[in-house]
Amino acid sequence: MLDLFREIVQALSNNKTRTALTGLSVAWGIFMLIVLLGMANGVTSNFRREVQSGGDEKITIFSGRTSEGWQGYKEGRFIQLEDDDRAILASQNGNIVKDVHPTIYGRAKRISTPMDYTSGSYVGCDPYYLESQGLTITSGRFVNNLDMEQMRKVIVLSESSAELLFGSIEQAVGGQVDVDGIAFKVIGVYKSRWGGRQNYVPYTIAAALSRPDGSVDRLEVSLKNVFTETDADDAETSLRSTLANAHTFSPTDQSAVYFWNNFKDRFTQNTAVAILEISVWLLGLFTMLSGIVGVSNIMFVSVKERTHEIGIRRAIGAKPRNILTQILTESIVITTLFGYVGIVLGIAVLELVASIFGGSGDGAQILGDASVDFSIIINVTLVLIVAGALSGLFPALKALKVKPVEALHAL
Amino acid sequence: MSATIPQPIIRLTDVNKTYPGAVPVHVLKGINLEIGRGELVSIMGASGSGKSTLLNILGILDNYDTGTYVLDGTLIRDLSENRAAELRNRMIGFVFQSFNLISYKSALENVALPLFYQGVSRRKRNKLALEQLDRMGLADRAHHLPGELSGGQKQRVAIARALITNPSIILADEPTGALDSRTSKEVMQVFRDLNATTGMTIVIVTHDPGVGEQTNRVIRIVDGLIAPDNSIITPDNSIVVNPTDPIIVE
Ligand SMILES: Nc1ncnc2c1ncn2[C@@H]1O[C@H](COP(=O)(O)OP(=O)(O)O)[C@@H](O)[C@H]1O
Ligand SMILES: [Mg+2]
Repeated sequence: MLDLFREIVQALSNNKTRTALTGLSVAWGIFMLIVLLGMANGVTSNFRREVQSGGDEKITIFSGRTSEGWQGYKEGRFIQLEDDDRAILASQNGNIVKDVHPTIYGRAKRISTPMDYTSGSYVGCDPYYLESQGLTITSGRFVNNLDMEQMRKVIVLSESSAELLFGSIEQAVGGQVDVDGIAFKVIGVYKSRWGGRQNYVPYTIAAALSRPDGSVDRLEVSLKNVFTETDADDAETSLRSTLANAHTFSPTDQSAVYFWNNFKDRFTQNTAVAILEISVWLLGLFTMLSGIVGVSNIMFVSVKERTHEIGIRRAIGAKPRNILTQILTESIVITTLFGYVGIVLGIAVLELVASIFGGSGDGAQILGDASVDFSIIINVTLVLIVAGALSGLFPALKALKVKPVEALHAL
Repeated sequence: MSATIPQPIIRLTDVNKTYPGAVPVHVLKGINLEIGRGELVSIMGASGSGKSTLLNILGILDNYDTGTYVLDGTLIRDLSENRAAELRNRMIGFVFQSFNLISYKSALENVALPLFYQGVSRRKRNKLALEQLDRMGLADRAHHLPGELSGGQKQRVAIARALITNPSIILADEPTGALDSRTSKEVMQVFRDLNATTGMTIVIVTHDPGVGEQTNRVIRIVDGLIAPDNSIITPDNSIVVNPTDPIIVE
């Protein structure tokens, strides 16, 4: 084995240009493959995380107008979501509904302090809203369950409201604001990655102050047991028919209440990611294939140039198997050796990309996760060996077709 | 030269060979030939008479169409490539006109190569190769590449390579064809010494009468046929058996 290796190293170093050219094409192919796979990994894993940061599966329901007549009612009737719908939705869909969170969009003429005022609206919500909207508390806290139970007059301000009404975020927390004549205590300041400006109060106090009729503007249903797109469709149908029953509209009426969900998007996105992954692998496969053809070509030339040498070897007793082994091994050694050069360079580039983009936030992070894992390297090694063997196989078989006497005459 | 052949190491009976093609060339037209163990013979003939074709068949580098060829008791016929390689490796040593050394290997590595295909360890084959080179007076050139050697030295390296597996027979095709007359004599002396001291069977193909003279028996081939011992070859290249007219001999 060591002997065979010596033979090969000698044969390869005998024609350095050829070896270098073959090596270069292999290294380049593998390099491209690694960078491609790594980048794709980065994009796809980032996609996945991005989508998941929206929280658990949820469906948001808004009031709407009927688009068809139903049980004596005419079309065009306004369907108002109500606080009672929470209990109805939860009890009739126990297998999928975790919780139902109501939201009220309250309109105040002004929210003011002695310092300044803003013609602000406020949102009545429950503690779940913080996570579901992806808000970040910069000072103080968000609405909690006790605020809800005791209908506390407390408010969470946006950073811009806090600065406007108190001069700074620090001074806002613990201070008081006047919402159309009613004093609210500031318990926290938040910031939103989407740049929201609403101010939040407990849902219960908002309902008491502005919705004597029990109406709500929005119901956010958090779900469980939704794993597939079919599950998602079923959940939507089931919730809609519950509301159709409670509010007397057609269960097939798509506009009586509006449903919005993020997870159906995500299932579609997952498919897109899967397609991206498959196309990257296909692309990689074709890169490999063209590499195999390239190496094969060079091996053909090499074998042809060395026909005479092969003739000599056979005259002094080399068996076909010996010739085959030598050419295959040469091919595998070239492919694997330079393949690894390509891998190392590829990983180096990925690391560089990761270190450039990895640190900074948000959008640029798409490339931050560019990486290749160990299993890919094992796979690539196997692929390289197979590719090298394939590349050498046909030239070797061709070399064996030449009779020893003809090979000796070749020059 | 009498035809008392002790144990023939080579026996050809009615061997025919035709090169196929648009115009097939019938090169060997029924060769009958015996060469005894320990002989130093030359096969002489004009260019194109079929000498190399015959030698390639003797060396199992090429096959023949009809007839039989027995080498050291083994019928050489329809052999697999593996078996042929095995026999070439163990029983035959080749010496060619153009040396056929591998250019990127040192003299030592060239000589050792046949043992590589026998699976002999590197250390052992290098030792044997060095001994063989030493016998050829080339120990100091062991690590030179063929390109750094003179023609005579190259041919002696090739002879060392032919001898390293201790074969039954050495086959040489125009071994002096690329050498000047002085080195030709040297190389022929190597063959003569080898035959005299070790009793190695040596078959040398040549068109040079000077080379033929230095062998113990000359086999003449004319147009694909072996001329019998009691025959002469006319200037127009035909065989006359038992010549009675002395003028033709002239
Ligand atoms: N591979 C071949 N195909 C066709 N004809 C050949 C081939 N090799 C040799 N010949 C022909 O066979 C004849 C004998 O050739 P060869 O044995 O090389 O003669 P010699 O060695 O005596 O000069 C020549 O006429 C040559 O042209
Ligand atoms: Mg010839």
